[in-house]
Amino acid sequence: MAAGLRTVILLSFVLAVGFLLIILSCALWHNWLPLLVALFFFEALTFVLAPLPNALFAHCGSDEYGESSGPVDLGRFFTSIVVVSGFALPIILAHSEVIDPKACAMSIIGGGLVYGTILAYSAAFSQEDSEYE
Amino acid sequence: NYDPRRVCLNPFPEISLGKHRRTVGVYLAGALFALANWTFLDAAILSAHARSPWGQPDTPPPVHVTFVDWIPGICSLLGYLVINMIDKDRVRGDEGFGDSRAVWRARLFLFIGFALMAGGLAGSVTVLILKYILNGYPEQFTYYGYANVSQSVALMLSAIVLWIAQSASSEYEYNLTL
Repeated sequence: MAAGLRTVILLSFVLAVGFLLIILSCALWHNWLPLLVALFFFEALTFVLAPLPNALFAHCGSDEYGESSGPVDLGRFFTSIVVVSGFALPIILAHSEVIDPKACAMSIIGGGLVYGTILAYSAAFSQEDSEYE
Repeated sequence: NYDPRRVCLNPFPEISLGKHRRTVGVYLAGALFALANWTFLDAAILSAHARSPWGQPDTPPPVHVTFVDWIPGICSLLGYLVINMIDKDRVRGDEGFGDSRAVWRARLFLFIGFALMAGGLAGSVTVLILKYILNGYPEQFTYYGYANVSQSVALMLSAIVLWIAQSASSEYEYNLTL
């Protein structure tokens, strides 16, 4: 349990650093367009979590079909679209010199940290669930 | 099992990959899809914020991304939608279920989808050559045309990856149920 607590604290710290980077990348250059990236990563959160129960139900319902149904695939497809968009948007904005390259790097790193935290957190939770069963 | 009455054989890749390969394939297809569209949007945004060519700060940019550049991408996207809306088992030619006309119709729509995607690719190459290369614009502006072509190519790759991923998995299910 102590290890779990430590993980949660570490993850929240990483999340805070990610948000700090995103906010800084906006505030330092007085250009709030990079905040769109955070929006994209929050959408990514929704899309990652959405197909999860679907996959679980497919497992419970019938073993011989595995987890290969259409909606699950659609969820994964959109997840990867949104994640790639989250990384591509600051690069494009920096390419057309709407935002500074340094702001681009900061918002990408911050977004990656936030997204990684979300992934790690959901992975930890699902592991805990399977341990309880 | 060769049927001489069939003119157009559909050789589906008979790959039996595991479950994770399917997941990876779907993720990869989504990433390619997003990459394709962002590549073109990059060109469009770049054109909207275009500056004068290198070296001559007084001359305005000679060319912009106009609606002509959007047409190939729209065709490719429509083709992508059509291809992925078709039930793969119908095209495979199992005429046992449903009516046999359904197979024919599914193949027709599949053909329309592929024709749209190929048309998009051809159109993007046409735009690249006629609008950008033949007019001899500097490399800064030919990039718009190259972005257009790479959008079509990436969309095609995405469709192929998605198709292989999904058909590979159905093969896997089939083996499991038997």
